[in-house]
Amino acid sequence: MRYAAQRLLQAVPVFVATTFLIYAMVWALPGDPILALAGDKPLPESVVRTLRAHYHLDEPLIVQYGLYMAGVFLRGDLGETFTGQPVAELLQDRWGVTAQLALTAWVFELVVGVGLGVLAGLRRGRLADTLVLAGTTFVIAVPVFVVGYTAQIVLGLNLGLFPTAGTDEGWPVSYLLPGMVLGSFGLAYVARLTRTSVVENLRADYVRTATAKGLRRSRVVGRHTLRNSLIPVVTYLGVDFGNLMAGAVVTEGIFNLPGIGQQVFQSIQLQEGPVVVGVTTLLVMIFIVANLLVDLLYGVLDPRIRRG
Amino acid sequence: MTVVSNARGAAVLLAAALALSACGGSGGSGGSGGGDQGPKRFSVALTEPDHLTPGNTSSSYSITVLQAVFDTLVVIGPDGSPQMRAAESVTSQDQKTWTIKIKPGQKFHNGEEVTAQSFADAWNAAAYGPNAWTNNYYFANVEGYDKLNPEAEGATPGTDKLSGLKVVDPATLEVTLTAPFSQFPITLAYTGFAPMPKAAFTDLKAYDQKPIGNGPFALDGEWQHNRQIALKRFDGYAGPRPAKADGVLFRIYASRDTAYTDLRAGKVDLLQTIPPASAPEAKRLLGDRFVPTASGTMDYLGFPVFDKRFQSADLRKAVSMAIDRQAIVDAVFNGAFKPMGSLVAPLVPGYREGACGEACTYDPAKAKALYDKSGGFSGTLNLYFSNADPSYEQWMTAVANQLKQNLGIADIRFRKIPASDYLSTLREKKEDGPYRNNWVMDYPSPQNYLESMWGAGNRMGWENKEFTDLIAQANAAPSMEASIPLYQRAEDVALAEMPMIPLWNWQDQAGYSSNVTGVRIDAYSPNLDTISVK
Amino acid sequence: MVDVKAAAESTVPGGGEPPGSLWHDAWRELRRRALFWVSAAILLVALAMAAFPSLFAALGPNEGCDLRDSKRGPGPGAVFGYDLQGCDYWSQIVHGTRASVLIGLAVTVFALLIAVVLGLLAGYYGGVLDAVVSRVTDVFFGIPFVLGATVVLVAFPGQGIWAMTLVLVLLGWTTMTRLMRGQVIAVRDTDYVQAARALGAGDVRVMVRHILPNSLAPVFVVAMLNVGNVISGEAVLDYLGVGLQYPDVSWGLQLNVAQSFFAEYPHLLLFPALFLTATVLSFLLLGDVVRDALDPRLH
Repeated sequence: MRYAAQRLLQAVPVFVATTFLIYAMVWALPGDPILALAGDKPLPESVVRTLRAHYHLDEPLIVQYGLYMAGVFLRGDLGETFTGQPVAELLQDRWGVTAQLALTAWVFELVVGVGLGVLAGLRRGRLADTLVLAGTTFVIAVPVFVVGYTAQIVLGLNLGLFPTAGTDEGWPVSYLLPGMVLGSFGLAYVARLTRTSVVENLRADYVRTATAKGLRRSRVVGRHTLRNSLIPVVTYLGVDFGNLMAGAVVTEGIFNLPGIGQQVFQSIQLQEGPVVVGVTTLLVMIFIVANLLVDLLYGVLDPRIRRG
Repeated sequence: MTVVSNARGAAVLLAAALALSACGGSGGSGGSGGGDQGPKRFSVALTEPDHLTPGNTSSSYSITVLQAVFDTLVVIGPDGSPQMRAAESVTSQDQKTWTIKIKPGQKFHNGEEVTAQSFADAWNAAAYGPNAWTNNYYFANVEGYDKLNPEAEGATPGTDKLSGLKVVDPATLEVTLTAPFSQFPITLAYTGFAPMPKAAFTDLKAYDQKPIGNGPFALDGEWQHNRQIALKRFDGYAGPRPAKADGVLFRIYASRDTAYTDLRAGKVDLLQTIPPASAPEAKRLLGDRFVPTASGTMDYLGFPVFDKRFQSADLRKAVSMAIDRQAIVDAVFNGAFKPMGSLVAPLVPGYREGACGEACTYDPAKAKALYDKSGGFSGTLNLYFSNADPSYEQWMTAVANQLKQNLGIADIRFRKIPASDYLSTLREKKEDGPYRNNWVMDYPSPQNYLESMWGAGNRMGWENKEFTDLIAQANAAPSMEASIPLYQRAEDVALAEMPMIPLWNWQDQAGYSSNVTGVRIDAYSPNLDTISVK
Repeated sequence: MVDVKAAAESTVPGGGEPPGSLWHDAWRELRRRALFWVSAAILLVALAMAAFPSLFAALGPNEGCDLRDSKRGPGPGAVFGYDLQGCDYWSQIVHGTRASVLIGLAVTVFALLIAVVLGLLAGYYGGVLDAVVSRVTDVFFGIPFVLGATVVLVAFPGQGIWAMTLVLVLLGWTTMTRLMRGQVIAVRDTDYVQAARALGAGDVRVMVRHILPNSLAPVFVVAMLNVGNVISGEAVLDYLGVGLQYPDVSWGLQLNVAQSFFAEYPHLLLFPALFLTATVLSFLLLGDVVRDALDPRLH
């Protein structure tokens, strides 16, 4: 428990520094988001002044950041977009989409990735192993948007196996194809990681000992090898959940999923500081919590770490 | 290897899909409950609007929704002339004081009567500075505007009513302008001049989420941001264009490429903006359900005339003649746009094809000669455009290659500015090279183009007294017809000096599914009221 | 997307072995692997294209383009067809190699330098220095790659290859630094390092002569894998329209243009994707075989 508390305490300065860094970067964007609102038409000075004061754009950076964080923690207020929609409401709408997408991708990574990895690891050097290695390396090397468009056109439009875009069919149907595209990269890593880990553990002393003692191979593999092999995989999967949510920008764009990735990309271009900072803050929080959970789970899987 | 076979496979399967949909399509219902049971509504692809309060949006996506929800005083007919809709007449003796008669018996969706006061209320709110509404500027020529928008920092207006608006009786509104303006009736077709009911002003925030209008469709529930906006037919509608369908479902897309993919998959019934790159495919796929529509939108290449390196009119003309407009339109826009030799779009009354003559005709040899005569250009040529759409970069690349090849300008660089910063860069005259200038027409009058872009305080820093005088004369002309020759003379002045060169006129390319009939899209409105569901 | 820590997890250093024999064994092992030769050959070609594009392409970048050839497919005179601007696609793709390869290598080299220096210092001295370095690493590690890069690149557009390199280094140095620090801590307490210290070797000497050679191998492997990932990451940013721009030529930019036209003109997508994939794949495979070769337990 002390270990957990200590880890949590360390996370606080990291959280503050990361959010401030993001805030400062967004603030450094040139240009005037207010003037851009009117498009090609002129906007009278009085209107500009009113809007600027409303969004605190006339304050110095540190004051803006302070006001923002005070709003977040004292009132639970994440600010509002330049079209007047509260950011919290906006994220509420979109959060679910990205979470469902990331979850689909994550489950796909976990089930298929670990499955392929174990298969390859147990059959090291044979055809199955070679196929898994070649396939996963290839998947890592192909750019994600090429995978996305190809999957959308071939599997979605031409073969009609999946909806082409949008969230109409709800979870899971609408999220299957985008989830697989988003998860393909991580899947390849998980499979390779699991494979290496299984191979290493099969050579470990305790497996030899167990086999020598006459335990059946399937039991050794099931009870000992898999459990130990999963440690690095768990680390990766834990950290990767945060990555998936952030990496959704491209996938959500291709499949028209109204999630936070799309929103934040637009917001960066529109210089909507509150949205960018709001989303990033939440992502960083998820990231830190995921790391924390991974550390704690480590303790369960590997008793040696608890002492450290 | 996989990539190769996938791509080839995709091409083959695509051909199969085309063949299939040519045989009548497999009947996508737009996911909106087509078929026999349930209300017959159709779906329209849309990009997320910014606001739905008429006075607070100039976004074309918002306007698509508002045109179904509101009846403006005037609409623009297919020939570009004003036709009365909510108004009975719009008249004036001196082009300065205008009398608007409103048709009786019209109702808002909440049952409230549409009167002169409904218009006055909406216009006062839009013109009131502290409300900070986008269309504020459209009321700048109404008397009393200055009082609602004081110049001084921190000053609050003493009144929230335009002195130039007078409600004579429930059916009569009198508008006094600051100067004669012959084009006034046609400007009233803009949704920024739509009426608002009393109910709106009790909670403007809620109104923005669920506007109450006087048009053939009413909102069916609130605007669901980034997802959809649902409309249902307004049964109390007494105007000239009752809705044929039971409702409209606007599906919101972040990318038009995805919207197009959904149109092909039969998941959306109407898409007004098929990406130009996909036009040839869409044409084959949709047959006569592919509808190219004229548009008033134009692209120009503007020069910072205030920069002394661009002060030679010959240099500017040389650049114009070195650009192969037709080839760019063919390559980047698949031939969908129209190369332009005029400053106003073809659908504007008073348009003359080739008004620009030789100076807008591709001729590398003459361009080079003129360029050399002008003294040429040395140093780095920066080209400015925004990051709002990838096609800007594509055609700018073509322009850069042509200037390099045809004029011999060696060092050309891009300045791709964030969309949010682009207009303020131009406004503050921080650009030091030619820039992309785009104009979306507000109303079909040469004045809308010429005065807005070449008039006093323009971005190029171009000044010409003859031009401003001609515009002032045209604005004070006794009728719209009488104003046209004067605007044309002003256009000639601007073309002779060429501070900004016309490039091409956009074409909107709409497509619809086999699920709907009666689609009558024109340059001014998608006319959703005419569409019915099979 | 630039996430290579997973690949590093399984890599364990050669422990207290003398460095010479580790690398020597690895080389003997490598020579026997066909994959090594295949990927090395592809990379040599890519490097040659990056260094001397004129040997492969008849035309310069954005040279001899005729818009009337726009998007024409492969045919006589143009094996890869033409791009949107009517430039010979083969020449353009050859010229695109430089941006990708240069950025991939430069980012990795700079990130590796940062990782080695910070990892050595933090791991060796520990204490406050270690705490500060670790927390700063955490901060940068927590910034999502695509979002962080987009914010910076939108703020400072059009700065070219070196600005892109800087951004990618800024967001990409953390993984290797963490790994290096871990390796240094593991090596720091070994007997031979203790012995060197007891013999009176100074801090710098101990770090450079004893710790560095023995902790570098896994970091080096990750660095090789990292080159491929950086190239992918750069292409994603170009694809999103926030990366490089004219007059630079890159595979990512070509893919960006191809996205709106590829249904009709598949060659626009196919060829740059092929080159990009082959290059990234080669770096990944090379990293893989080198890791296997360096890992004595797998021999």
